Amino acid sequence: MFSYYVRLALASIRRTPVMSALMVLALGLGIGAFMTTFTVYYLMSGDPIPHKSDVLFAVQLDNWDPNDDPTESAKDVNPQLTYRDGTYLMNADTPATRQVHMYGTGAVLVPENEESPSEERIRATWNTFFEMFDVPFIYGQAWSRLDDEDRASVVVIGRELNETLFNGENSVGRSIQLNDGFFQVVGVIDHWQPVPRFYHADGTSRALADTEQIYAPMNRAIELEWTPWGNTNCWKSPDEDLPPLEGFLQSECVWTQFWAELETPHQVADYKDFLDNYVREQKEIGRFERPLNNFISDVMEWMEVNEIVRNDNRVLVRLSFLFLLVCVLNTVGLLMAKFMGKGGEVALRRAMGASRRAVFQQNLVEVGLIGVLGGIAGTGLAWLGLRAVESMYQGYQHLVHLDPVMLATAIITAILFAVLAGMYPVWRVSRLAPASLLKTQ
Amino acid sequence: MNDIGPIFRALMHNRMGALLIALQIALTLAIITNAAFIIQQRSANIARPTGLDEANTAVFYTNLFDPKIDQRQLYRDDMEAIRAMPGVIAATHTNSIPASGSGWGDSVYNDPELPSNESVSFGKFMVDEHGLETFDLELVAGRNFQPEEMVARSMTEITNPGVFVISQALADELFPDGDALGKTVWNEPNGKEPLRIIGIYDHMQHAWPGSVSSVNRSALTPEITLIGDIMYVVRTEPGQLDTVMAEVEEYLSRNQSRVVETVRTFEESKRRTYSGDIAMVKLLSAVIIVLVGITGLGIVGLAWFSVTQRRKQIGTRRALGATRWDVVRYFMVEIGLISSAGLVIGLLGTVALNWFLDTNYEVGRIPLWYLPVGMAAMWLLGQLAVLLPARRAANIPPALATRSV
Repeated sequence: MFSYYVRLALASIRRTPVMSALMVLALGLGIGAFMTTFTVYYLMSGDPIPHKSDVLFAVQLDNWDPNDDPTESAKDVNPQLTYRDGTYLMNADTPATRQVHMYGTGAVLVPENEESPSEERIRATWNTFFEMFDVPFIYGQAWSRLDDEDRASVVVIGRELNETLFNGENSVGRSIQLNDGFFQVVGVIDHWQPVPRFYHADGTSRALADTEQIYAPMNRAIELEWTPWGNTNCWKSPDEDLPPLEGFLQSECVWTQFWAELETPHQVADYKDFLDNYVREQKEIGRFERPLNNFISDVMEWMEVNEIVRNDNRVLVRLSFLFLLVCVLNTVGLLMAKFMGKGGEVALRRAMGASRRAVFQQNLVEVGLIGVLGGIAGTGLAWLGLRAVESMYQGYQHLVHLDPVMLATAIITAILFAVLAGMYPVWRVSRLAPASLLKTQ
Repeated sequence: MNDIGPIFRALMHNRMGALLIALQIALTLAIITNAAFIIQQRSANIARPTGLDEANTAVFYTNLFDPKIDQRQLYRDDMEAIRAMPGVIAATHTNSIPASGSGWGDSVYNDPELPSNESVSFGKFMVDEHGLETFDLELVAGRNFQPEEMVARSMTEITNPGVFVISQALADELFPDGDALGKTVWNEPNGKEPLRIIGIYDHMQHAWPGSVSSVNRSALTPEITLIGDIMYVVRTEPGQLDTVMAEVEEYLSRNQSRVVETVRTFEESKRRTYSGDIAMVKLLSAVIIVLVGITGLGIVGLAWFSVTQRRKQIGTRRALGATRWDVVRYFMVEIGLISSAGLVIGLLGTVALNWFLDTNYEVGRIPLWYLPVGMAAMWLLGQLAVLLPARRAANIPPALATRSV
């Protein structure tokens, strides 16, 4: 029966090609527009590290200007730490399972061969980074804690860089030149791109940036005077009596990121106490003049604090949903017109003994078919839409792939909307009294 | 207009159909008016002048990685060579590019007694005495700085330049009475790190165009950073930009101890900063065009269908003496009635949508004049869309009434 209905539906669609095309186009455009904006929204608000996002906590300490407006939430506190506080926490015996202190920097990579040098972004961090964030290694491993403490010239490099420099071979033990110094490769990591890049995500563009291809011990980076490439914020100038670099490291300027891994609620509470006690001690030496305002936020909370999903994105999702509604209304109108025009045919079928139910089902199949076609058109248009979005924004390359979930959603949504749109017209046409229509023929 | 009555009564027979079109028109109005408003705002935002000669300026980001090189001498040689190139009007090194999204912010106190939260912040551009001309700025008071006023800023040494040249907007903020020239302000509270205002220029945005209220507060200081990274800005004669860019890049790349990381026209640099706004303008424009198209085509489709349905009725009317124009008018009045109902709902929808978007996402309030303009446009769309089917209806011959009864 179903295949017979499908054939009938195809025949009916062929009978009114322009109108059917209009319906498929309208549904397709509506679905396509909505899927495009929703995919970007969905990926931006996604969980970048699902299995660990509730045990990783970003740390904020409110060391700001005592004359500034009072702090009401984590959003009012700078998302970064001072070097001195991060360094203290990193070396302290805290209740955390692991901690990591880091900053984004860069240097010029000088290849061994004749190729020209290039500027590379570098993550200056501690050995705990890789284990905390579950970074997958292809060769070798992270450097050791001893390497951190000894300021060793070691690096972990990314898969892409390993391809470029060493043709993808196991490069552990070989070395690379950064500025005028050499670094030994201790590990190569696989392609690893959390979206958003939560570990250093102050602002959407940084949250959407590529992960670094070079990771080096933070202590070594500081020793080499590698300057922070991210934001540096100061409310108070560094001590002028110290040399500029030393003054900067001891200053109240915030420019590093700090994370703690806390596995139980108990640990979370203890860690908060630990931070509060540290700040209370610091208050005694004249720092942290504001009320006690330390925050720890897990990964998803941290995405909220940093407002990773842009308002623009939310506006677009809302507007494209309304757009989809218009397209559905449009389809309902056209379906109404079409089915009312089919009154004669329906009456004939009813007079020949088809039940209302059968007529209803038959026409629903037709509507469903339009839905499927609309869904396919919509998916194609969403793909085009995402390409367009990718070309328009900086750094959206990780956000604009149609994953299978979205693909299935698109087609199911299209059928659902088509069937919803068709329900009323189909119901109306199946209620028509056959006699009156047959008479007017 | 005495046929409104019968047309209205006829419409009431197909209430659902009319309601669907009315709702569609209502939603379309709400969406396009709000979208047009956002487009207009973003476009105005993008169009704000930075102060630079935007079409004839290029930026170069370089990174020197050999610490043994005498940076100061190198930069001096670079500047000299670039300035000597044909087609170059002016060039400077800098630590910040206007409207680039990343730069250096600082703040000063106009009174040594002020508490730390009452300083005035501004975007700081560390340039040499060619900065004013390179950025195409007009001195409105005072003087430019002299080469001997230049100081260096490195990892081992920071010297307070003591003088700076500031924008009119910053001058007005610091000294509302208009007597900023010659005054001293302080980089630190308690009267430390004094800076004297030796000149005031007309207008230049700082690096962050997103901070709307303070975007015009900028200042040039006679400083040079010796930390490896440095940018050059070059302003050229009209039409010479591409040639000069290639030549400067070639010159800078000759030195093997540095990387010329990025070479961009200023316009490209600005476009990147505004990519979010530009995308919003493009996406919403597409939404408007497609939506108008769909709603228009939907009306065409329905009217076309209704003409097919009413062939006999129209033929009869024609046979009874109705002119072609009467038939066309019937459809225009009909869509007019539906549009009017839709636009009334749409008016409320537009205001509600704007209220929702403004409360949640701070898009701003729609100026009132958008409403009548949007409504008129939508009304016109209905009339245009119905024209083609109505003309088809008008061509139905009166003789049709006599057939097949």
